[in-house]
Amino acid sequence: MGLMIWLLPLALVFLSRVISNRNALHLISASISVLMLVAAGFITSSVINNGVLNYPVFGGLFYVDSLSAIVLDIVIVIGVLASIYSIGYLEHELAERKITPKKIKLYYTLMYSFMFAMILALTVSNMGILWIAIEATTLASTFLVGFYGDKHAVEAAWKYVIICSVGIAIALMGIIFLHLSSVDVIEIGSALNWHALLEHARGLDTPILRLSFIFIVIGFGTKAGLAPMHTWLPDAHSQAPSPISALLSGVLLNSAMYAILRTLSIVNKNLMDSAFAGRIMIGFGLLSVLTAAVFILTQKDYKRLLAYSSIEHMGIIAIAMGLFTPLSVFAGLFHMINHSMTKSMLFMASGTILQKYGTREISKIKGLLNTLPLTGTVFLLGLFAISGTPPFSVFASELIVLSSVFKAGSPWLGGVLIILLALIFSGIAVTLFKMFYQQSKDDDTKILEVLRGETNKPGAVVLILLLVLITLMGLYMPAGLSDLIVNAQKIIIGGLPYDYN
Amino acid sequence: MENYLDVLSALILFSSFALVANKRIISYIRTFQLQACLIALTAGIMGVNSFLKEGKIDILVVCAIILILKVYYIPRLLHKTYAGVEYKVEKDFFLNIPILIFICCFLVLFAYFSIPTIGGSMAGNVNIQVVNSFSLVLIGFFFMISRKKAIGQIVGFLVIENGIFITAMFSTHGMPFIVDVGVFIDLITAVLIMGIMVTRISDQFETIDINQLKNLRG
Repeated sequence: MGLMIWLLPLALVFLSRVISNRNALHLISASISVLMLVAAGFITSSVINNGVLNYPVFGGLFYVDSLSAIVLDIVIVIGVLASIYSIGYLEHELAERKITPKKIKLYYTLMYSFMFAMILALTVSNMGILWIAIEATTLASTFLVGFYGDKHAVEAAWKYVIICSVGIAIALMGIIFLHLSSVDVIEIGSALNWHALLEHARGLDTPILRLSFIFIVIGFGTKAGLAPMHTWLPDAHSQAPSPISALLSGVLLNSAMYAILRTLSIVNKNLMDSAFAGRIMIGFGLLSVLTAAVFILTQKDYKRLLAYSSIEHMGIIAIAMGLFTPLSVFAGLFHMINHSMTKSMLFMASGTILQKYGTREISKIKGLLNTLPLTGTVFLLGLFAISGTPPFSVFASELIVLSSVFKAGSPWLGGVLIILLALIFSGIAVTLFKMFYQQSKDDDTKILEVLRGETNKPGAVVLILLLVLITLMGLYMPAGLSDLIVNAQKIIIGGLPYDYN
Repeated sequence: MENYLDVLSALILFSSFALVANKRIISYIRTFQLQACLIALTAGIMGVNSFLKEGKIDILVVCAIILILKVYYIPRLLHKTYAGVEYKVEKDFFLNIPILIFICCFLVLFAYFSIPTIGGSMAGNVNIQVVNSFSLVLIGFFFMISRKKAIGQIVGFLVIENGIFITAMFSTHGMPFIVDVGVFIDLITAVLIMGIMVTRISDQFETIDINQLKNLRG
């Protein structure tokens, strides 16, 4: 049953090649993604009940525990919603003659290859295969980034494939050093199996492991969008079709962060101390938040602004993970879930806005709530949510992250972080809220006149669903979810014998 | 056997110097091919050795894959891509060749002095093979930033990959077989995709000079 999670996206990749009727394709995509949701539900429930899900196929390669289950569920939930949103999005693009029917087939093939690569990364126990899968995500999504084929899209796709491939090559170097550090303690059969690595973590060759961690953080950090390796991210997120931006931001960044987390727990267990890895993670994290704050304040393109906001949130997650206290890791994982949901919602809303106005420039859009009453409202509330306003879930997790920073005894870090978050909030308010104002009478800047009304009906349903989800998560956390996060936190921290409190 | 491997690792390093000194795209694709031959030879020697000692054919299979992929297929693909995108300017670097070579020497020195400081099983004794292969990775990075044409960047990426591959060969006698195969699948797909992207860049921008790609900023 669990293996269905591999077979379903592959089945769609195949079907999208042979089926030409696009309505049938939309229907199959939606139903397969719902089936994937069912399979993910099965995996999650057996992980909650039994701790791990491991099949004896391909030498025990399929392995899901609480940590991978959390990220996997994010992938599947966002994937399902994005594929439903895509139906309305693609039909609109087709009606506007921006794409041909053939491109819809290509879109589905690539999108589900992309999904498959991410699912593979999260369900294998071998760091080598994990690397292969993460590199495959880059390759599958390159043409999705360059989907529209114009100058800007081609430039974004080229930067994306080159920067991410080189970044991920650095991570491969890290994985080779990880392998090298373990050759004395782990037999060849379970080489690079992170379960075995974590078990024998104390016996690994420390200096080489440290080197390996630096390579892995820089390598996977490139894909996770940590500054200063983030340069591909705003380009790719702004040029890709909006459902793909939602997937890139809500899902891909987390998968890369997941690879870092696996290594982080091995390294910290080996060193019996989180100071070395913590300094690296917090350094990159703080730099990411700072970079995002600077660029958000001066941003003119709303999709790029959302992309910079993703860099900010990955930075917050990196800081939380770097602190490595039970509370901060819990908060980091919770923040991962909340950021994904909120940011995907914003990107999908921005897709509807982009289709309506045909521009990414903030200054050309006025009176958004009038033109798109529903999407506009969702976008406005989403902006409040992403900048950390109660009652939404991002507020809840940011609050726990900040309190864990102060509890861990780093008031300076906490203070700087609060100032930067305030700066980002005001940046978003100053730049993006202009889109909701009406044009004043004496202002004669040219804005675009468009008809009132929603364009993407299935998309609107998805947006409302996500809005309800992030509001509920801010107020109440179901017991199953908190169990899952606590278990995942124990897996990450588990290596360390002593208690921080 | 170690002597042969020492010599081969040095030759691979020299081939990367030759690559940096190449002016034309055609000639650095050929130098890359030569480098791939040397790497296949290294893998071949190690493969025969491991076959005789332990009866394993993993490394020999990897050697065969390198021969097909890096020696034959990828250079052919690059030549084809290059033939598809004509452009006039042949000179393709920011700095002149002596300075490029000088910086490469500096990178090798950096690797030579930094690797023994890692400690652990690499402490003290300078493992010349790892120094050479790690220098190759650094030179690959440098090659990428010193070239202006998109194909140069692909070759730079391939050199980095070569460097990582032989670092793995020399330090751990190869990764687990399934990982090696997966890496090759990714590599070939990456080069195919980059090749197509080069064609698209040339269609859209009428050049493959990546300096022209600066519409997206801020």
